[in-house]
Amino acid sequence: MSTVNLRPSVRLDPPARRRSRGQTVVKWVTSTDHKVIGNLYFITSFAFFMLGGLLALLIRAELFQPGLQVVDNPQQYNQLFTMHGTIMLLLFATPLFAGFANALMPIQIGAPDVAFPRLNMFAYWLYLFGGLIATAGFLTPGGAASFGWFAYAPLSDVAYSPGLGGDLWVFGLAMGGFGTILGAVNFITTIICLRAPGMTMFRMPLFTWTILVTSIMILMAFPVLASALLALGADRRLGAHVFDPNNSGAMLWQHLFWFFGHPEVYIIALPFFGIISEILPVFSRKPLFGYKGMIFATIAIAALSVSVWAHHMYATGQVLLPFFAVMTMLIAVPTGVKFFNWIGTMWGGSLTFETPMLWALGFLTTFLFGGLTGIILSSPVLDFHVTDSYFVVAHFHYVVFGTVVFAMFAGFYFWWPKFTGRMLDEKLGKVHFWMLFFGFHITFLIQHVLGVVGMPRRYADYLPEDGFTWMNQVSSAGALLLGASTIPFLYNVWKTYRTAPLVETDDPWGYGGSLEWATSCPPPRHNFVSIPRIRSERPAFDLHHPEAAQYDAPVADQNVLDTLYGAPDLDDERRGGVPPDGDTTDHDGPGGDAR
Amino acid sequence: MKQRGLTVTGLVLACAVALSGCSGSISRGLLPHGVTDQTDRITNLWNGSWIAALGVGVLVWGLIFWCVVAYRRTKDDIGLPEQLRYNVPIEILYTVVPLFMIAVLFFYTARDEAALLDTSKKPEVTINVVGKQWSWDFNYVDAGTFESGTPAQLTGKPGVNATLPALYLPVNKRVEFVLTARDVIHSFWVPQFLMKMDMIPGQVNRFQITPTEIGTFRGKCAELCGAYHSQMLFQVKVVSQGDFDARMAELKAKGNVGLLDNSLSRAKIEQRDQQYVPKDRSN
Repeated sequence: MSTVNLRPSVRLDPPARRRSRGQTVVKWVTSTDHKVIGNLYFITSFAFFMLGGLLALLIRAELFQPGLQVVDNPQQYNQLFTMHGTIMLLLFATPLFAGFANALMPIQIGAPDVAFPRLNMFAYWLYLFGGLIATAGFLTPGGAASFGWFAYAPLSDVAYSPGLGGDLWVFGLAMGGFGTILGAVNFITTIICLRAPGMTMFRMPLFTWTILVTSIMILMAFPVLASALLALGADRRLGAHVFDPNNSGAMLWQHLFWFFGHPEVYIIALPFFGIISEILPVFSRKPLFGYKGMIFATIAIAALSVSVWAHHMYATGQVLLPFFAVMTMLIAVPTGVKFFNWIGTMWGGSLTFETPMLWALGFLTTFLFGGLTGIILSSPVLDFHVTDSYFVVAHFHYVVFGTVVFAMFAGFYFWWPKFTGRMLDEKLGKVHFWMLFFGFHITFLIQHVLGVVGMPRRYADYLPEDGFTWMNQVSSAGALLLGASTIPFLYNVWKTYRTAPLVETDDPWGYGGSLEWATSCPPPRHNFVSIPRIRSERPAFDLHHPEAAQYDAPVADQNVLDTLYGAPDLDDERRGGVPPDGDTTDHDGPGGDAR
Repeated sequence: MKQRGLTVTGLVLACAVALSGCSGSISRGLLPHGVTDQTDRITNLWNGSWIAALGVGVLVWGLIFWCVVAYRRTKDDIGLPEQLRYNVPIEILYTVVPLFMIAVLFFYTARDEAALLDTSKKPEVTINVVGKQWSWDFNYVDAGTFESGTPAQLTGKPGVNATLPALYLPVNKRVEFVLTARDVIHSFWVPQFLMKMDMIPGQVNRFQITPTEIGTFRGKCAELCGAYHSQMLFQVKVVSQGDFDARMAELKAKGNVGLLDNSLSRAKIEQRDQQYVPKDRSN
């Protein structure tokens, strides 16, 4: 039963000469290689991440005490949080998904590249220039957009928010949005058409599944955003009246925006769930528990995500509350399934705590609390009080930061050898993790209380009598630690680039399952010299661990429920009737002598 | 054993904090002290939901923590654990049980939200609150008078509260708020009512409450409305009927006769909502 590696992968010798810097730049900007484009996405989105983080630090500094100390006037403060939100959601998290998808998905399905390499490149350049245009508002005399990242009409109209900053925001994001749409088309086509022989849909790694589902969601959500933005642009520049309150335009914008905005939350969550689903099995030395359940949960979340948009609008008094409340609450079910499957993956495993695993556990503990506050917010009765307060700010940072940032770093530490051929330093990685973990929770846990006792979001200033001061100071101190945690990471990247040895094996972690661990670090130009036989969702694991067959449990083991309720009590019958060599049933029950 | 000891200690500590009575805010789940006939209803649902949510949370955190502790690979471990892939009964279990939990939450949500947003009763006082950049107009419809607020001047020092525009309400009288906006979207939030509702240009929103406690409470705009959003503050003064009448007379004596009409707003109220727009009854 041992897996035979028919065509062992051949290690390519490292290139004999290094390219000059100029050659490297030309190679990168003209590249259609999905790995290079993935790296471009990573670098660009991380740069935007640091810019957005810098804006966040300014926001936290301003809120440290009552009065205006950091900004000159509240309008500047409005620019800070508007661009912070815009950058983090649309110029960091969304393209980061495209970065991971580019860097990994083709390798995971055994493809030489994506289906449309030049479209892929075009999508990246749309994103880069769209993002630069949107942020260029800071360089205009009136400053950047200041109407909040969801740009509610009529505040976002030219009458209330004049200036080039708003125009650049609208058209820059529309341009970047087209990049996202084209990227999604490319990913779907690649996954449907370019899978290697043997890579059936139900053998695809969960990360690839989430890329597929996310891309379908992008095709549902982003065209709505693009059309809404272009209509807003027409209102601003061409004197159109699409979002004029005289035509009920205020609610129209909210419906269109949140019809994009809620799926967007899952667009930036699902791929990162996928990353966690890749990492936990490797460091638990077990296959993913409930693989198909995981896929169906992903699809269910995606399906529900397009029917819950108005839970952002409970307080508008203009939506059918019971419908949107029940749909929102239903999302807890597939998300819970994911959680229990992640725990099931670790259950009975053999866990080690390398840095990627640490980040994955940080994700689980953090995101869980964001999910719980999400349940609270799903009830309009409770939402009325805390919506548009710091409770919501805390909630969505637990959800989005907990997912995107924790899983991003998990993915970086995990796949760094695959991206660069070098491992990141474990010790620095752990320092990075603990700084960020504590920084994050100090910053955002207290914000729940801040919101409950009455601090609205997007307030540049508050009163000393409000009693918010000490909580804001705790939060700001945490934010400083959170921001500082990036330093060990950057140092780690620099240090390992200079000194770390090249990884010689295909799978430095030793227990990788998906196909990227069956090729070199980094992979050759078209990814594989040879592809192992694909006979499960873990082809690389089957290749490297033929001995695992004896531990395999393709049939679920008998647990308490089964023994209490499921199977008939036929022990005596069995003993009498079955020939000794034909009996493969494990009589010892769960976990018997398998270890 | 050690784990159990820790858990017990934690529970005892949590109970001690909860029972110490010194802070009633724990028994309200940190919510502000509620001052309307609706706030008990909201606080109960809040507390119940949090107990259920934290119960689930402690279970899941506990399972994660248990995995980390119990299934740690030790130096002596060799080979691989059993390569278990799935277990349908338990997967069904944790799909179905949450369905029942959200069914319960939805039942109470639907019941309470219907009560919270019920505007079928005839209010004893009707007040048209109009949001504008960056303050509030209070139209006292029955008394035929109004007050026009101005933005707060924030200094970073104590003492600003007294300068804020004040919305007067008679205690124990059912009040209907008719919410409209002059320019952009605002949101009418009094934290101690545990309730907020948006004011949307061109549309009318309404809700009713009965204030049950005399006192002064903070009010804020909760929807970003432009540069001076954080200065769009007001205070709510819940007073006796006598004091309320005196205040109405005082406003009228200042010359604030009639209402600041909604036709002054930039957007026309749409046809559907015209019926809710309060009309000046004094002339």
